[in-house]
Amino acid sequence: MTDRSNARVGLLSADQAPLLMRDVYAGGDPGPIAAALATVPELAAVTLPFIGGVLGPSALDVRTKELVILRTSVVASCRYCVDAHTVVALDVGLTADEVHRLRGRGGDGSTPFDARDVALLAWVDEVAGGRGEVPDAIFDAFAVHFVDHEIVELTLLASTTLLLNRFCTALRLPTSTDTADRLRQEGMS
Amino acid sequence: MTTLQTADAGTTTGPIGEAVAAGRLPGRVWVYSNYHCNLACTYCLTESSPDVDRRSVSGAQMRRIAVEAAELGFTALGVTGGEPILAPDIVGTVADMADVLPTVVLSNATLFTDVQIRRLAPWAERDVSLQVSLDSPDPDVNDAARGEDNFAKVVDAIPRLVDAGIHVRIATTSTSMDPADSERLCALHRSLGVSDDDHIVRPVIRRGRGVEVDGGVDAGQRDLPAELTVTADGAFWSPFGPTVRDGILDTDLLITRTTSPLRTPAEALLGLVNGRPAGEDAVLNIR
Repeated sequence: MTDRSNARVGLLSADQAPLLMRDVYAGGDPGPIAAALATVPELAAVTLPFIGGVLGPSALDVRTKELVILRTSVVASCRYCVDAHTVVALDVGLTADEVHRLRGRGGDGSTPFDARDVALLAWVDEVAGGRGEVPDAIFDAFAVHFVDHEIVELTLLASTTLLLNRFCTALRLPTSTDTADRLRQEGMS
Repeated sequence: MTTLQTADAGTTTGPIGEAVAAGRLPGRVWVYSNYHCNLACTYCLTESSPDVDRRSVSGAQMRRIAVEAAELGFTALGVTGGEPILAPDIVGTVADMADVLPTVVLSNATLFTDVQIRRLAPWAERDVSLQVSLDSPDPDVNDAARGEDNFAKVVDAIPRLVDAGIHVRIATTSTSMDPADSERLCALHRSLGVSDDDHIVRPVIRRGRGVEVDGGVDAGQRDLPAELTVTADGAFWSPFGPTVRDGILDTDLLITRTTSPLRTPAEALLGLVNGRPAGEDAVLNIR
């Protein structure tokens, strides 16, 4: 269950799911992003597969993808996405310490991340939080660890996450009750 | 009235025209001209009344829909509401639509003075039908659902409309009617100049205010013909789709918010129809 009362737009329930969205609702509550997009079904019909394609399983390993998604969401200060992907990150194997660091909490100056992760996160910080050109030094350090198709995908992933960050934040999409409970259990509320 | 470029209806060979010609897709496109109404009927699907938002589709938009519908291969148009007669320039708009495709207009027929009926002359000259609601041969039964003096106004208006050359149909919405009442109603509409072929009877649909009516029938996608319906809020599966409950528009039969170009919702509708399992076409055939 999700408290939908604070959202800035109506989040369609299953009994109000438009015809083009019925498959999306067939498995139960599709979550606030889909429930908001459902109000414009013809756009949801193209947006949801796009989001699923970029954020879902692909040539990149899931841990790397969650590093990008969670870090981008932190940089963009998206409460909904940080909450949701904190849980996902833990579920795909990131340690609690790694998640804390990604969320900008804790740390004693050391880092749990290796050089590849550090270069990736520096790239993500610039893509998500920077303005104008991304400095060559950041790219060069990043490109040491990734080939072109990975660079393209990681950059698309950060960019798409940023799109979702602004969408969820602007519309005040609510964190689900299940996610909030899990965050409390993990001490990450 | 403006002169419209008239599409060559019936010769379209695109997928929508082919589906219409094959009977897989109904040929009529409906437009909700507006949602407000001078009445507030007990079973109204759209909770219409004088006080609701008008949510109008403009005359220019309705004319565009007519042309695009014909180009896509649809074969007929319908205008409903609310009370379409309250929409600005509805006479000219419908006349222009009827220059493109045959058009039926749904009305409660309570606003027709002699002067207003004379203004409908362009409809008499074109393929326009006026579908008027009359629910019972008994004034008290009819008026309990449709409002005080409704029966008297309707039975007064219909012969004047017929005399003016307007093709009038009568739609009866009822939860049940015994054979004797049905026969009296048919005798009444014949006496008003409306033939049996122009009288349809349909159930109360449990949507909008109709959810409160005992004896109404549930109607979802499977029960309703896939008649593309354009409103100010988007395009729907059926004219029974854009219903309102407690002031909130139902979206369960919404197809797309995009209505221009009409091809967008029309192709989405055809995709839904083509994706429907065999035997899942409309079972109630409510019109």
